[in-house]
Amino acid sequence: MTTADNTLGSIYISHRAIASIASQSALTSYGIVGLAAKNLADSLSHVLVKEPIMGVEVSFSDLVLDIDMYVIVEYGTRIKSVASSVSEIVKYQIENTTGLSVNSVNIHVRGLRISNTD
Amino acid sequence: MIMTNIPLETRETVTDSKTSIKSIDGQKLKRLLEASLLWLKANQQLVNSLNVFPVPDGDTGTNMLLTMQAAYNEIANSNESNIGKMAKDIAQGALMGARGNSGVILSQIWRGFARALDTLPEMDAEILVRALNESRNTAYKGVVRPVEGTILTVIKDVSIAVENAALKSQDLQELIRTAVNAADESVKFTPELLPILKTAGVVDSGGKGLFFILEGMLRYIQGSSLEASAVMVQPLANMDLTDTMEDIEEGQDVEVVIDFSTKEPLDLEIFYQRLSEIGTSIQVGEGDGMYRMHIHVEDEKTNEPLKYIATLGTWSKISMENLKLQMSGKQDSEQGYQLAEFHEGDIAVVAVSPGKGISRILASLGVAAIIEGGQTMNPSTEQILKAFEDLPTNNVIILPNNKNIVLAANTAKSLSVKNVHVVPSTSIPQGLSAMLRLDPEGDADEIAKEMVNALTEVDTCEITTATRSVEINGVEVKNGKFIGLLNGKLLVSGNSVDEACSLLLEKADMTARERITLFYGENIERDEVDVVSQHLSELYPDHEIEIHEGGQPHYHLIISLE
Repeated sequence: MTTADNTLGSIYISHRAIASIASQSALTSYGIVGLAAKNLADSLSHVLVKEPIMGVEVSFSDLVLDIDMYVIVEYGTRIKSVASSVSEIVKYQIENTTGLSVNSVNIHVRGLRISNTD
Repeated sequence: MIMTNIPLETRETVTDSKTSIKSIDGQKLKRLLEASLLWLKANQQLVNSLNVFPVPDGDTGTNMLLTMQAAYNEIANSNESNIGKMAKDIAQGALMGARGNSGVILSQIWRGFARALDTLPEMDAEILVRALNESRNTAYKGVVRPVEGTILTVIKDVSIAVENAALKSQDLQELIRTAVNAADESVKFTPELLPILKTAGVVDSGGKGLFFILEGMLRYIQGSSLEASAVMVQPLANMDLTDTMEDIEEGQDVEVVIDFSTKEPLDLEIFYQRLSEIGTSIQVGEGDGMYRMHIHVEDEKTNEPLKYIATLGTWSKISMENLKLQMSGKQDSEQGYQLAEFHEGDIAVVAVSPGKGISRILASLGVAAIIEGGQTMNPSTEQILKAFEDLPTNNVIILPNNKNIVLAANTAKSLSVKNVHVVPSTSIPQGLSAMLRLDPEGDADEIAKEMVNALTEVDTCEITTATRSVEINGVEVKNGKFIGLLNGKLLVSGNSVDEACSLLLEKADMTARERITLFYGENIERDEVDVVSQHLSELYPDHEIEIHEGGQPHYHLIISLE
C-alpha cells in the first residue's frame, strides 16, 4: 500500500491501482501493442484470475515509486523511441493522478509483434 | 542545429503548376520530401508551441523534423528513379531516426507508404490512394488503443479524402491539394475529439506537423516559397502581447488589437504584407475559427487596420491604446509609481527597492531610477549600471539599501565613466533618510557626504519569520517564529509580529528618537499593522507614528526610528 497524508487522514493507494494506471497509459502509448507476463508462473496465475495488470510491477519506498513494465512492441518501430515515450507517459500519468513521485520506470521489451513484414 | 543545408534544386523537376501530374517517380519523390522537410523546418516552432502535454512529446515539431531529416539523409545522395525503392529507403531512414511519439508514428506512415509502393517504378493516382491507405493501416496497427484527435486521425482523414477525390481526378497535384485541405480540416477538428486540446485552446501538434509535411509538397509543386513565413501565427491561447509594450519606438502611436473571423481561411502572407504597410510590431493569433491581430500604427493610420479587416471578414472586438500616453505614464500604470521628471545635469539618485510601496515613496522623494531587488533578489552590477548609464547627467548617487547590494553598487561605480558615489545604505529607512538630503542641483560630492552622515541618524528595525531554528546572540529562535532585527542584528523572537515588534523597540534607544515609521510588507494585512501601531502608540505616547505600505517581500515590517 502506498500512502499520502492530508489534513483529515491518510490516503492509501494500492500497488494494483498504480499498476492499472501504468498499464492503461502504456496501451495508449504508440508502438506498444501489449503487455507480457514476466515469467511463466506469473502468466499462468494471471490467466487464472484475469488479472488486468499483467506485465507491471510496482515497488515502493518513502513515497517514491519504481515501476517495471514488460511490453510487446510493434515490429518496425524504433524500439528506443517507443520505450522512452512509454516510460515518460507512465511516469506522467501516475504522478499526475496520484500525486506520488515516480523514481524510475524500467521498460522490458519482451517481444515484438509482427503484423507486416516489409 | 539539426539541419544541414539542403539546396532545393530546380523546381521544374516535378512539374509546371498548370499542367496536371499523372505520375511521380523516385527522384520527384525525393524533391517532394525535401520540400516537406524545409517547410516543416520553417514551421517547427509553431508546431512546438502547440504542446499541451508536458510529456511524452515535449517538442513535437523538433521530433518530427529530426525524423524527417533522418529520412532525407538516407536518400540525399540517391539517384534511384524507382519510387518503390526510394520510398523504402525513406521509410528506413525515418524508422532509424524516429524521435518521440509523433516521430514513431510518422515513420510508420512512411513504412506503410513504402510497402504499398513495393518496387513500382512510378506512382499514379490509384497507387497513391493505395499507399495512403496502407500508411493509415500501418499507423493504426502500432497501438492498442488509438487516441483520436491526433496525427492518427489526420492520416486517416487524409487517406479517405484522397480516395474519394481519386474517383473524380487522376491528377496527382489535385490529389495532393485534397490531402492538404483534408489535413487542415482534420487538424482543426482535433480539439473536438481530444478534450485536453480544447481546454488548452490549441490543435494537435503531431497532426499539424503532418499537415506541414503535406503542405510543403503542395507548395513545392505550386512554386510557393518554402522559407519561414514572415509572420508567426500563434495559437490564440498562447498569444502574449505584454512584450510588445517594451520597445516602443517613433511612429508607434497607437496600439490596435482586433478580433475577427473570415469566411475564407486567411492567406497569411498577403495579410502580413498588407499589415506591414500600415504599421509595425505585428502579431497574428489563430484559434477556434477566429483570428486576433496586433499592430502599432501612427496616429493618422489609426483606422486603417479596421478598414482592412472589414474587407476580409467580420470583426468582433477592437481595442486601442494610445501608446504615447502609455510611454509617459508607463511606469505609473505598470509598476505602481511614477518617477519625477529628470532634468538634464541634475544629480541622479539610483535606489534599490524591494517593493512597490517603497518604490512609490522613493519616487516621491525624487530618485531618478529605481532598481527592483532586495534580500533574496539582489540586482546584478549590470542592472545597476544600466539604470543610470543612459541618464543625461554626469553625477550619480547609488543607494543600495541592502548590505548584500553594496558590493555590486561599488562595482558598478568602478565600471562607470560617470562621477558615481555609493552611499552605503544597508536598509530602506537609511535610504529614505539619505534621500531627504538630496538637492538635485547641489554639489554632488557634498550631498553624497551628507547622505552618508544621514545614515547614522536613523535606526532600522525589521520583523520577519525565522526560516530555521537557531540560537544567535543568545536569542533562541524556532523555525516559523517571528524575529526582530535592529540595524541588522537579531535581538528578539516572538510569537506574533506585535510581540516581536514591542520587544524589539525595547532594545532600541527610543529616547533619542521621536518618530516611528512602519513600512508593512506583502505578507501582512493592514488590519494587523493597525493593531501593532495601536499597541506602539500606547507604549510610546510621545512618539509620532506613521504607517506606509512598503510591499516588500519576506519582511512583515520595516521600521524606521528617527
